[in-house]
Amino acid sequence: MSHSVLVCDDAIFMRTMISDILAQAGFEVVGEAETGVQAVDKYKQLKPDLVTMDIVMPDMGGIDAVREITKFDPDAKILMCSAMGQQALVVEAIQAGAKDFVVKPFQPSRVLEAVQRVLG
Amino acid sequence: MDLSQYAELFLAESREHLSACNQLLLEWERHPAAPEPVGGIFRAVHTVKGMAATMGYARVADLAHRMENLLDHLRRGAAGRRAGDDVLQLLFRATDALEKAIQVSAAGREQDADVVGIVAELDRAVQRFAPDTAPRHAPPSPPSPPSPPPEVSAPVVGPGRRVRVTLRPEAPLKGPRALIVLKRAAGLGTVSQVQPQPAALEAEDFEGQFSFWLAGPAPADLVVATLAAAGDVEEVRVDDDAAPVARAETGAPLESGKARHIRVDLRRLDALMDQIGELVTARGRLNQLAAERRDPMIDDLAIQISRLSADLQAEIIQARMTPVWQVFDRFPRLVRDLARDLGKPVAFRVEGKEIELDRAILDELGDPLVHLLRNAVDHGLETPADRRRAGKKPEGEIVLAAVRERASVAISIADDGRGIDRARILAKAQAEGLLDAHVETLSDDQLLRVLARPGFSTAAAVTSVSGRGVGIDVAMTKIRALGGTIDIRTEVGKGTTFVLRLPVTLAIVRALIAAVGRERYALPLTYVAETVEFGVVPITTVEGREAMVLRDRVVPLVHLRQLLGVNGDQPPARRPVIVIEMGERRTGLIVDGMLGQQEIVVKAFDAPRGTLPVFSGATIMGDGVPALILDAGGLL
Repeated sequence: MSHSVLVCDDAIFMRTMISDILAQAGFEVVGEAETGVQAVDKYKQLKPDLVTMDIVMPDMGGIDAVREITKFDPDAKILMCSAMGQQALVVEAIQAGAKDFVVKPFQPSRVLEAVQRVLG
Repeated sequence: MDLSQYAELFLAESREHLSACNQLLLEWERHPAAPEPVGGIFRAVHTVKGMAATMGYARVADLAHRMENLLDHLRRGAAGRRAGDDVLQLLFRATDALEKAIQVSAAGREQDADVVGIVAELDRAVQRFAPDTAPRHAPPSPPSPPSPPPEVSAPVVGPGRRVRVTLRPEAPLKGPRALIVLKRAAGLGTVSQVQPQPAALEAEDFEGQFSFWLAGPAPADLVVATLAAAGDVEEVRVDDDAAPVARAETGAPLESGKARHIRVDLRRLDALMDQIGELVTARGRLNQLAAERRDPMIDDLAIQISRLSADLQAEIIQARMTPVWQVFDRFPRLVRDLARDLGKPVAFRVEGKEIELDRAILDELGDPLVHLLRNAVDHGLETPADRRRAGKKPEGEIVLAAVRERASVAISIADDGRGIDRARILAKAQAEGLLDAHVETLSDDQLLRVLARPGFSTAAAVTSVSGRGVGIDVAMTKIRALGGTIDIRTEVGKGTTFVLRLPVTLAIVRALIAAVGRERYALPLTYVAETVEFGVVPITTVEGREAMVLRDRVVPLVHLRQLLGVNGDQPPARRPVIVIEMGERRTGLIVDGMLGQQEIVVKAFDAPRGTLPVFSGATIMGDGVPALILDAGGLL
């Protein structure tokens, strides 16, 4: 059975690219969110197997969204999507409950590796 | 992976973010102490940076990164300072440079993106804000002195082993990666005595090697396997036993799944529209055939196909609809820059941003609107001193508004400036021989026609902004080509308003089909006010032109036969007059007969030289014979 994924990023460009990478690898992108608030709402509604989470988003950033989601589901599998130079934020996200991270610019193979690690 | 397929999406979305940047910069300029704009600008620039890096546009990403650095300082309210004017101007310039860099990069000429100068300026600004802080893009500071040895007092929890982990040299963000390894280790036992100190790890203040004490029953091979799978781990050693490390190679693509979202190239939509056009034409032919055959089965089928193609057409037209803000959003910045250059404070307001137009029309609308907005700032508004003398507030007002009318969208550009001095325009027009000496006043229509004469300008000084007379004629030509109209209203001392009326979609219009001689002509219904029978209403002569009096209004008449040079056979005795209307103007077209209404597919039409300027395009009729589309604007 293919895993369901919720893709959270404020840029359509990024969502498209991540969705394409995951869909081509057989994942089912069941939802997209462009703000932290949407990410939390959609997580509760869709209960996806995996979440990819951008750090900088309007209307509740990715880190707060991670906190909210793990409060709701401590086993949530969240993969942070970060840019170079955001180590402090990534550390914060991992402490908040994110399972792993990938760094932009994305290489499909690295994204898929990270996804597999998170899904264990 | 092939990135070129994402280039257009990148460009489109980057433009949205740049537009947001400009809007927010303007807001920030108005409210320098407000905290919201800087956060929004930071996010927009950050998003552009991530996208550009993914596309491999290093220069765009670099510029965005430097902007982000500066914004980050400002966002954190460095030293409680608010953004000074110089910083804002720098950010405006940087936004422009970013836009240019994005454009040339997306066009495949990244090497032409010149960001060196602006990058240096941004870095200098950052240093001013944080003289003692190295910019974030600087190489990491050299490792701090070796961490102190494990504190003796640190409790060693139970028996255990020292675990040493080496991360891959190329691993990005080694600090967070180390944290993930430690979290995994914590799932196997109790972790203590981490070296270097966790704080140093988090700050990336280490060389990719770290170690910790792991207490717990987990066997060494399980520890190695678990930690090696944490990602970017080169080696895991337990208790000095060189343990083999299996590199975690995963991510083999599964069978291709089905995506739930699809995005469509705009060109596909255009192609689809063309196809629908052909379908509508074929449907017309089928309807004709059905009418000739009088076969109920063909009739039923024709009706069904009519309905289906109408639905399809409506769907596609809807898919092409684009809100006007996609063009309007860049105007606040434009007006601000102009106002600044000319030293005229302007309050600029945009209304009806959500009104939708066919993308093909919207794409063409930018230039004419820029001309008219420039005119409004440059000529429409007085200087603050003149305004004060006239008892107005020194700040001028310009309103750009879109309103949906029946089958069209009206876009108005209104200023509260000096208005146009008709007497002066009249005198100039008469001096240039554009108008008879006996004309005493200019109607709005005449005024517009004079202003739209190529080369006609009353600007006392030709400024770099406008005043060469190219504004209104350029706008008028473009709007007419789109099947639209321009009207003007102006009052001395009160201001000037230009109103552009545009069809909602270009591709398919309902038209009245008229016969003249042996030809058929299509006239878009948008401009048809009514039809009357020629000779039933009184005919008169006004200024040497034939006209009819319709409900107390004089409507000039045009004999299409004469205009189009149709000779030979006599016109029928009873002839209809089609009254076309645009804004306040009306004209009656005398034709030979009317053949009904139908939807026509508008095809671009390259008029041969010497063709009368009264056609806006061509169409193919149901029987496959082409017909010309009459341009109401050209006939009035």
